Amino acid sequence: MKPLAVTAYTTTTAVGQGNAALIGALMAERSGLRPNDFTQHPLETFIGRVADVEAVRLPSHLAPWDCRNNRLALLGLESDGFIAAVEAARRRYGADRIALVIGTSTSSIGATEEAYARLTPEGHFPDDLCRPEVHTPHSLGVFLARALDLRGPCVTVSTACSSSAKVFAQAERLLRLGIADAAIVGGVDTLCGSVLFGFNSLELVSKEPCRPFDPTRNGISLGEAAGFALLEREGVADSDAWLIGHGESSDAHHMSSPHPEGLGAELALRDALARAQRAPAAVDYINLHGTGSQKNDEVEGALIARVFPVSPATSATTHAAPAHAAPAHPAPAHAAPALAASSTKGFTGHTLGAAGIVEAVICLLAMKHGFRPGTLNARSIDPDCGPHVRLHGEHAPVRVAVNESFGFGGNNCVLVFADRAAP
Amino acid sequence: MPAREGIYSMSQVQSVAEHEMAELIVTSLNLEGVDPASIEPEAPLFGTGLGLDSIDALELALEISKRYGVQLRSDDEDNRQIFASLRSLATYVHTHRPA
Amino acid sequence: MSTCLEVRVSGVGFWAPRLPDWQTACAVLAGRAEPEAVARSRPAPALLAPTERRRAPDTVSIALEAASRACEAAGVDPVSLPSVFACTHGDGAINDYLCGTLASNPLLCSPTRFHNSVHNAAAGYWTIGTGCVKPSTALTAGSETFAAGLLEAIVQALADETPVLYVAYDAAMPGPVGEVSPSAGMIASALVVEPLKGDGPGVRPAGVGRCLRARVAPGAQAMPEASVSPGSIPHAWFAALPANSMRQCLPLLAFLASDAEGRMQMQLNQGCVLEVDIEEVTTHG
Repeated sequence: MKPLAVTAYTTTTAVGQGNAALIGALMAERSGLRPNDFTQHPLETFIGRVADVEAVRLPSHLAPWDCRNNRLALLGLESDGFIAAVEAARRRYGADRIALVIGTSTSSIGATEEAYARLTPEGHFPDDLCRPEVHTPHSLGVFLARALDLRGPCVTVSTACSSSAKVFAQAERLLRLGIADAAIVGGVDTLCGSVLFGFNSLELVSKEPCRPFDPTRNGISLGEAAGFALLEREGVADSDAWLIGHGESSDAHHMSSPHPEGLGAELALRDALARAQRAPAAVDYINLHGTGSQKNDEVEGALIARVFPVSPATSATTHAAPAHAAPAHPAPAHAAPALAASSTKGFTGHTLGAAGIVEAVICLLAMKHGFRPGTLNARSIDPDCGPHVRLHGEHAPVRVAVNESFGFGGNNCVLVFADRAAP
Repeated sequence: MPAREGIYSMSQVQSVAEHEMAELIVTSLNLEGVDPASIEPEAPLFGTGLGLDSIDALELALEISKRYGVQLRSDDEDNRQIFASLRSLATYVHTHRPA
Repeated sequence: MSTCLEVRVSGVGFWAPRLPDWQTACAVLAGRAEPEAVARSRPAPALLAPTERRRAPDTVSIALEAASRACEAAGVDPVSLPSVFACTHGDGAINDYLCGTLASNPLLCSPTRFHNSVHNAAAGYWTIGTGCVKPSTALTAGSETFAAGLLEAIVQALADETPVLYVAYDAAMPGPVGEVSPSAGMIASALVVEPLKGDGPGVRPAGVGRCLRARVAPGAQAMPEASVSPGSIPHAWFAALPANSMRQCLPLLAFLASDAEGRMQMQLNQGCVLEVDIEEVTTHG
C-alpha cells in the first residue's frame, strides 16, 4: 500500500502526559501501575491510572459531554503540539476534508455506571447525569469532533482491544479512496467498574502488577489512556514516521479466548507485512499485545517464533539478562541487533480500546529515539513464548516496527510502521 | 421427585441435591432443550457430555456462590475434580455450604 | 466534494418483530400485505453452535438473522466476506444489567454477559458461527451510525475489491438508561455490497442489483437531533416498526424496497453528509 505520513502523534498514559513521559518511563523501566484505588468496592489488583483526570475541566460548549473518558480525551490532546497540528491540517485541507476515526472499548460507560449508583429514590438518573450525550458509545467521537471542530466523516470504532489499531486501517482506506485528505486517528479508554469487575469475573485480572511473558504470569493489569495521530498522504507531507502496512482478521474461534494456534493473528500479521512489502527479517521491533494472560502470551509468543527468523544475535541476548542489570543495555556494537519484541503493558497496564494507539505511539517513539523497550515486571521470559521476547530495553536503531492488537470476539489488527516511506 | 426407581443402579439416579444442582446448571447456562433430570450424575460436564467450556465454569461458580455461598475459583487445584460431574459438584457444594 | 463511490447491492436482509424478513417488509411497503399482527420474539441464531447460541444476546441474534438472509439473497458464502457491524448503543440490556450489578454487588458480574458486552459481540459471533476469518469491524456514530457504517462497508468493498457484508441493528434500551438514551424493540438490516464491475442487473428480486453512488459532501452545519426524522420513514413501515435507534436505516431501505430511483442524504458529522444516488445497475462499456 501507499505509505501514510504520521505527522503528529501523542499519548497520555499512567506513566504521564505526553510522549516525553512515556519514552522516559520506557528507558528508565518505570511502571505506571499502582494498587487499585479506583473502585469503591475493593478489588485486589494493580491499575494504570492517569493522574489528575478528575481535575480536567471542559470548556462550557463541551459541558454536556463531561465524563471521565472525555476528560481524559481532552487531557490527551493537550501534549506534543497535537492541537496545533490539527489546526494546521484544518487550514490546509478544510475541516470537512479531515476524517475522525477513533477507537474505544467502553467509551463513557463510567458515567452510566455512576448514574446507576446514584439513582433517585424513584429509580431514575440523577439530574446531573440526564445527558444522553454520555450514555452512548459514540460520545467519544462526537466530543472529539466538537473539541477539534472537525467536519469530515466521524466514527467510533469499538472492537474491544483492537479498536484503536483498526482506526489506522479504516483511515488509510478513506485517504486511499479520496474520501478525506487527512485523518485524526486514536483511542481513549478509561478505567470503569465494567472492565475491572468484568475481567475479574473472567478471572483474567492479576492481583499483582502484570508480568507479560513471565513463566509465572497470572493475568492482566487494567489501565487507561488516550492517544492520537494525524495521518496525511505521501508527497504532501514529509515525516520520519510512516504507516506502511496494516492487516486485519478474525479468529472465528471463541468470544474471549484466542485461537489456540494463533491462526487469525497470523493472518493479520502476514497481511500487514504483505501490504508493507517488507519481509519478516526487515522488522526491528515488535510491540506485542502481551497482556500477561496465560493464553494470549503463549499463543502470541509461538506466533512470533513461527513467523520471524531467529538470528544468532537473538539467542545471545534474549534470556541472558543479569538479575540486577541497569536498564537500557546498549546493543553489542559488533553485530546488527536482532529483532526484539516486547510487551509494554507492565508500564501502562492494558488500556483496552486505547492499547492500539498507545502501542503504535511506542513503535513511533522506538524509531525516533532508537530504543527498543523491554517487558517490565517479567522476571524471566517463558521459553514457551519464543526467542524474540526481551526482558530489558536497549538502544538500537529501529527502522521498521510492528504493533499487534488482539481483541475479544477474535478481532485482530497488526500495524507496520517505518522511518521512511520507501522500502 | 427426581429420584427414580427401576432398572437404573443407584449411581445413575440423581439425588435431590443433584437434581437441584442440575436445575441450576440448566437455568444459569441457558441449556436449550436439556431436561435437568436427564443429566447423568457421573457423566462429564465439560468438553464432551453437556459440552460446557471455561466460561460456563465461571458462570456456574458465580451462580453457586450466589445460591449456596460456596466460593469456587478456577485456580483451585481441586477444581478439575470438583467440576468433573454433576455428582462431584453437588457433593462438594453440599459439604462446603456455610452452616 | 469527494470521490464518487459506486457499489452494487447484491443482497438485503431485514428483521423486525412485525416485519420478520425483507420480502414481508417489501410487500408491506408496496401495500400488498399487512405487517404481522403479533410481534415475534427474537429469531434463533441458527448458524451458531449450541454453546454460542445459548449465550447470544438479542443484539447478536437479530444481527445474525439479517446477515444470514442478506448473504443468502446475494448468493455468497459468508466465509468469503469481510464484515462491518454498526450499532448505535451496543447491547442495552447487558449494559443495564452490568451497571445495575456494579451498583449493588460488583463481584456478582456475570462473566458471560461481560464478554457479550463488547460492541463487537455480533461481529465475533458471526465470524465464529460462519467460520469466517476475514476482517470484521464494529462501529457506532450515534444517530449517524447507519450512514457511517454504510460508508465504511462501501469503502472496504472498493479499497480491497471485495464484496462486503454490512449489518446495522439496535435493540431496546431497558431500565433507567433507556429513559435518557432511548431505543425500543429491535431492528436489524443487512446489505451485501460489492464493487460495480459493469455486469448487468440480470434477474433479481426487489432491492437486489441496485447501484449506490455515494459521495461524502459538505452538508448541514448544525448536527440535528437525529439524522432521520420520522417523516422520512414510509408510513406503511412507520406504524409497524418500533421506535428503535436503527430506524436510521429505513429511508435507504425504502428506496431499495420500492425499486424507486433517487437521491438521499444522511448526516455523517456536523457539516458533512453522505449523499447517495440509488439507481438501477446499468452495463458499462
